[in-house]
Amino acid sequence: MYKWFANGADQTRKSWVRPFVTCALLMLAIAIGDCRTVSALPTGKVIAIPAFARKYGLPCSACHTAWPELNNFGMVFRDNGYQLMNDRDSPIWQNPSYFPITFRITPNWHRESTSNQPVDSIPGDLPGSTLVSRTVTQAGFDLSGMDLWSAGTLYKNISFLLLPSSDPTAVWHFESAWVRLDNIKGSSWLNFKFGRFELDNLISEKRFLFLSANGGIYQTYHFNVPGTLNDFGIGDNQIGMELMGHNADSSTRYSISLLSSNEGGTNLTESNLPGGAPSNRSFDGYMALTKSFNAGSWGYEQFQAYAYVGQRATYYQTTTQAGVTTPLVGLGNEPFYRIGFAGQLHFKNLELLPYFMHGHDSAYLGTATADNGPLPTGAHAPSFNGGFLEGQYFVNPQLVFFGRFEKIDVGQEAFSGTPGDYGNVTAYSVGYRYYPIMFSRAGLAWHNEYSISKSVGIVPESADGTGLPPLPFPNSQNVWSSSIFIGFDFDF
Amino acid sequence: MTLKNIAVTFVLGSMALVTVGATSMRAQSHINPPDPALGTPSVATEESHVNGMTGHADRGRKLYIRSCIGCHGPDGNGEGMNAQWIDPKPRDFTEATFKCRSTPTGTLPTDDDLYNTITRGFVTTNMPSWRPLTPQERADLVAFVKTWSPRWAKEKPGTPLTIPPETPITIESILHGRQTFQRLECWKCHGPQGHGDGPSASTLTDDKGNPIRPYDFSSGSRFMCGTTNQDLYRIFMTGLDGSPMPSFADVVKPDEAWDLVHFLRTLQPLKTQEASLWQTYKAAHGADIKPIGPDAATGAQ
Amino acid sequence: MRTKYFLALTIAVLLGGGMLLFANPPAGSGSISGKIAYTGTPPKMKPIDMSKEPTCAKQHATAPVLTQNVTTGPGNTLQWVVVYISAGDQEASAPSQAVRYDQKGCEYIPHVLPMVAAQELQIYNDDQTSHNIHPLAKINSEWNKSQPPGSPPIDTKWEKPEFISVKCNIHPWMHGYFVVLKTPHYAVSGEDGSFEIKGLPAGKYTVTAWQEQYGSQNQEVTISGSENKTANFSFKVLPY
Repeated sequence: MYKWFANGADQTRKSWVRPFVTCALLMLAIAIGDCRTVSALPTGKVIAIPAFARKYGLPCSACHTAWPELNNFGMVFRDNGYQLMNDRDSPIWQNPSYFPITFRITPNWHRESTSNQPVDSIPGDLPGSTLVSRTVTQAGFDLSGMDLWSAGTLYKNISFLLLPSSDPTAVWHFESAWVRLDNIKGSSWLNFKFGRFELDNLISEKRFLFLSANGGIYQTYHFNVPGTLNDFGIGDNQIGMELMGHNADSSTRYSISLLSSNEGGTNLTESNLPGGAPSNRSFDGYMALTKSFNAGSWGYEQFQAYAYVGQRATYYQTTTQAGVTTPLVGLGNEPFYRIGFAGQLHFKNLELLPYFMHGHDSAYLGTATADNGPLPTGAHAPSFNGGFLEGQYFVNPQLVFFGRFEKIDVGQEAFSGTPGDYGNVTAYSVGYRYYPIMFSRAGLAWHNEYSISKSVGIVPESADGTGLPPLPFPNSQNVWSSSIFIGFDFDF
Repeated sequence: MTLKNIAVTFVLGSMALVTVGATSMRAQSHINPPDPALGTPSVATEESHVNGMTGHADRGRKLYIRSCIGCHGPDGNGEGMNAQWIDPKPRDFTEATFKCRSTPTGTLPTDDDLYNTITRGFVTTNMPSWRPLTPQERADLVAFVKTWSPRWAKEKPGTPLTIPPETPITIESILHGRQTFQRLECWKCHGPQGHGDGPSASTLTDDKGNPIRPYDFSSGSRFMCGTTNQDLYRIFMTGLDGSPMPSFADVVKPDEAWDLVHFLRTLQPLKTQEASLWQTYKAAHGADIKPIGPDAATGAQ
Repeated sequence: MRTKYFLALTIAVLLGGGMLLFANPPAGSGSISGKIAYTGTPPKMKPIDMSKEPTCAKQHATAPVLTQNVTTGPGNTLQWVVVYISAGDQEASAPSQAVRYDQKGCEYIPHVLPMVAAQELQIYNDDQTSHNIHPLAKINSEWNKSQPPGSPPIDTKWEKPEFISVKCNIHPWMHGYFVVLKTPHYAVSGEDGSFEIKGLPAGKYTVTAWQEQYGSQNQEVTISGSENKTANFSFKVLPY
């Protein structure tokens, strides 16, 4: 399989090098520009739902280590299709006024500071001004995006989720929407989900404890070698279908997904926001296998191995009318893959979350080359290795300290001439959440977080897409971006 | 002072404040331990012994705060903040009266009984199955449950019921069980077809005075205390303490009890050996079967 | 010859004295008697509809049974009030004689049954129908047993003093009480509201009267010698 990917790198035609490099750089600029909107993940992401607590009378801490992160009991509830399997799950058992809906938003104060940003030497770009490299700092009170989250059971063994989500300016999109047939033929090994959903990642980015611009995403979950056409992030919700199964206490779980190759885009476009390029017609696949081991009074130790294999279009079928070229459908699919493992380890009140990913794109994707033509000189199939180690310390169900160290190393750059550390990422994050109430009707957390990430030659990926690529370009200059986030995270 | 310094100071300062506050003050969820004068077992020392494990009440206490307190309450008396919306009400641990036991009515359950209850949960109630907790965690919870009532310090659990080997499933056994169902007047609460609609069903109350329904066999749902024929045997031979379901241990012999179990299975819409034997018999002798109820003769013998 | 007599006499005296030492304190000859009266308007006791249990209903066809939570007698008196010594009594072991509780005509007979802690209690089912005996004990252990017609009596005892409400789940109108006391000196007021506690040695006593709906009242009574003292109680009643 590796050879099949590697073959593409051998096709180079020297006379095409310069135009291709220029084209690639332009596409790189577009890609990075697009990154700021396409991969702009609204902060304050989902998934702790007091509606479930209201339905069953359990406190949040029964299902969550510290909401929104799930403990094993909550994971089994989720695997069962949001059912406790007590013959009382069907909505007919609820008072008709019960509505499975939750709102979540985080008013906050935050501060971002990014180094090596190109700014006008004279503000306003008056005559004589040039672009210089400076640190740009922004701060102030703000809102996060909002989740309007509904999930539960339509009927016994039919569950659903509907999550329209907004960014801080109230621009809405569908984060998730799916229906799931649970326990098909009475077996917990057969559950079929259809719609737009989060991949079965053991360490869920949607249910983690970070909210800041630089800490509010796992870099590894969205990383792509700079210059690639590939926009895939394993932390992004995808669209398609999933077959999933688990045993009674979820100590063994498998999941197999068949997805559109368009990064969860809706309206048959490459993104979940208006104005994206049309998607191709191919499919991606994801597989994950999770196993838990009983560690007595410490809880369960969990391990997951996963693999994602996908394709992205390298050019489009177009039409040109009155001088305007419009893309119609993606073509020239080129493959990529991500493989790795994850762990969720408990030691009394300490939880450790290790994660590793090896990513590989085809050379066409890496060099942003249409595959109906030759590869540029010095093209390689880019690859990277990345991972993080996150730690959480639960003083009690109402106070948790967390921290994370993350590192991504580009093993193979797309072009021979590119410095070997171009695009490398190092990120740190630390913070705590204090829950003044632990209640079945609503949740409130006082959230404090400090995160800092560094990228070589490019601006680090961030949850709100801020930052400009540094000058000169491309190079090996480090770009540092730090965030402070202080806010009240609440849902009801 | 730069903004950065202010921000850092603010963050560190609020961290310190919250840490001190959260760890020294009582958290929102906290236990009200029983009055020591009552003589309840100590949380520091109480243990349980289940499946070769030893559970510890001090560890169980932390799990109780995390998972149980919303319904069973900070006083362990079933008056958690959600209890008012729940039917049936959560168990009051201060009374040490438990439905699912292997021990005679009026006696304490064994550690295994409590462990099995936590593992299984109760269908048609808000008590879920806690199987997602590790076995050790469940054993720890059993130890902590026992610290709520002084009875655990003063009494030993009852002697578990000896369940003799099951007798063969035959139509004679089912018919005799049917006679027993008639004679013991089970139908007064459970109804002639086991629909939970007997003449006394609508007035039943539990030991707290809350209305309660008898088990409806025609629903096919799991019994309160298990799924197997052995579990069913144990239910009516020990009674469900705290509910109207009495113990029949003094008035039913073991053979008769197995016959009753076999008959009760025919009332459920499940694919059991008993049900198919009964269907075959009904097809052949339907006219001879006298209905169960106040003026009925027994069985068809 | 005389030594033999003397020996026998000594042994007899020693044995007798020993028996006296280990037996209950000497029964006194004092007594406390009185009447339980009420002031105010009591609630009306309602006739019980036993049509769900025809075998019992036909036993009461001519005279229906009334509820018994506030049973009144002539001259504004109350029946079924337990009067007992709550303080001042000496420690005593439970009497060896069992007390008896009957389920007859789908009623508990007597409606209120006092007994001493650890005294044997025998429960009989005299009816053609099954009953379940469900004493709702909180201090003692709660239990629940089925008693089909023709079953032998249930033999049990209560270890700790408590006012235990008794019910039958099959027949929801059946209500009764086991009043488990520390003292063997008790009485239950009769149809005319009168009671008498006999066999009291001289001493200072607290007498308590307990009515199931209106609770307890106390009086201090001192007995010297074999006198009879009067202690009357009056409960304030409400029509609901």
